[in-house]
Amino acid sequence: MQDTQLLNEGLALMGLGMGFVFVFLTVLVIVTTLMSKAIGRFFPEPVAPEAPARGGARAQASQGDDVMVAISTAVHRYRRRHRR
Amino acid sequence: MTEKILTLWTGSGLYNLSLGQAVMVLVGLLLLWLAMAKKFEPLLLVPIGFGGILANIPEAGLALSAAEQAAHLARPALLEQMAATLQLGLDPAAGIDAWRHTLTEVLHGDVSPALLRAANDMAMDAGFAHGMLYQFYSVAIASGIAPLVIFMGVGAMTDFGPLLANPRTLFLGAAAQFGIFATLLGAVGMSAMGWMDFSLNQAAAIGIIGGADGPTSIYVSSILAPELLGAIAVASYSYMALVPLIQPPIMKALTSKREREIVMTQLRPVSKLEKIVFPLALLILVVLFLPDAAPLLGMFCFGNLMRECGVVERLSDTAQNALINIVTIFLGLSVGSKLMADRFLAVETLGILALGMVAFAIGTACGILMAKLMNAVSRMPINPLIGSAGVSAVPMAARVSNKVGLESNPHNFLLMHAMGPNVAGVIGSAVAAGVMIKYLG
Repeated sequence: MQDTQLLNEGLALMGLGMGFVFVFLTVLVIVTTLMSKAIGRFFPEPVAPEAPARGGARAQASQGDDVMVAISTAVHRYRRRHRR
Repeated sequence: MTEKILTLWTGSGLYNLSLGQAVMVLVGLLLLWLAMAKKFEPLLLVPIGFGGILANIPEAGLALSAAEQAAHLARPALLEQMAATLQLGLDPAAGIDAWRHTLTEVLHGDVSPALLRAANDMAMDAGFAHGMLYQFYSVAIASGIAPLVIFMGVGAMTDFGPLLANPRTLFLGAAAQFGIFATLLGAVGMSAMGWMDFSLNQAAAIGIIGGADGPTSIYVSSILAPELLGAIAVASYSYMALVPLIQPPIMKALTSKREREIVMTQLRPVSKLEKIVFPLALLILVVLFLPDAAPLLGMFCFGNLMRECGVVERLSDTAQNALINIVTIFLGLSVGSKLMADRFLAVETLGILALGMVAFAIGTACGILMAKLMNAVSRMPINPLIGSAGVSAVPMAARVSNKVGLESNPHNFLLMHAMGPNVAGVIGSAVAAGVMIKYLG
């Protein structure tokens, strides 16, 4: 008698819990999607990507040059050392 | 002279070592070996294993409260006083050893907190003190602090980027929580069949092992079933370490080779503002719908906000490194204190270990089935392998998804895609924990 009651309570908790987890996460999905859309529309990242794009392009190019110099020096030295 | 040698001998560990304690010391050594040789969650199993050995040192009583120590060592007069405080009659004919036994049993069993406090006060007045591990336990776990601080650190380590880029992966995290509730039902069923004797609270605490989230399971069991905490924590952390062994067979059994080869579309970049707003949005939802999950998810969101807002680098760094390490040490030792022979060595422990494994397997399977369903319904392709990452266990489960995916298609990197359901699983199990605490607490 008591056992079936325990089982029933377990089943109730399972239904309730699983239902709630799904409802909560569904609401979270909706809220997150809305939030992302709102942010995408009203604050479309002008600050973040543009600043690096403008200042960054040049910096990146010069950085690329530096890297090329470093690599070629390293390769040069390596070859010289290993020729001996 | 012989009398003194005899006193030394009767006071020695060897003389007093019970069989159970010897077994538990071996269990402690086994945990240490698993941590060192097999690299099973060493950060936790080393403190837990060592704490377990310390808790089972005979006569030292490191894990005992003052009243329990007194019941073990005090003079008959004090024993009688304590029995009176606990509203207990001692049979004068039974002899002192029987008295000690009865008192210990009562102190372990269901005694009201007020009486327990009175008994503890009496023992402390008589010069007995709480054991070291008992103190650690009451500060770190009984108060609920250690799991929450660890949750804050986990929040500070979590990057919600992949989840924000593809919010629907939250459903995978929800589906994998089915393991929790299925196990709860399993535990209740075992009691109904008469194999074990679990109450609904204990069944809920066991089920949460399926959440594959150490701090959450410790937090829930410290509230719902503190007497099972040792077994639950050990099961939870050992299975988290076993994720790479438990999951792949289930994943392969439930998916076809073709499904495992599905290539997912590149995730969109997520702006910094979105990452800052997300923890706040999550917190507001918790406030609105489930205040009982507020301790866990509140700390989680707080840690994540510290990480993303970018103005408190120092705090975020402390939360995810120094602080979480300090707390892990005390959490591990406190869990170890619950590995005392007379409470850990029971049939129930075996039941918990078995149920925990089932919880993991069911959670993994449900995550994968949900991913298959979503793949069938949605336009965007979803590789079912990322579903198994819905059982939190960050980041191990996501790595397993990635690894199994690479076995089928060496150019298919699923790691970032699997991180979405992975952190969704953390949120999902915290929500499930909140529901359980609300319903039963």
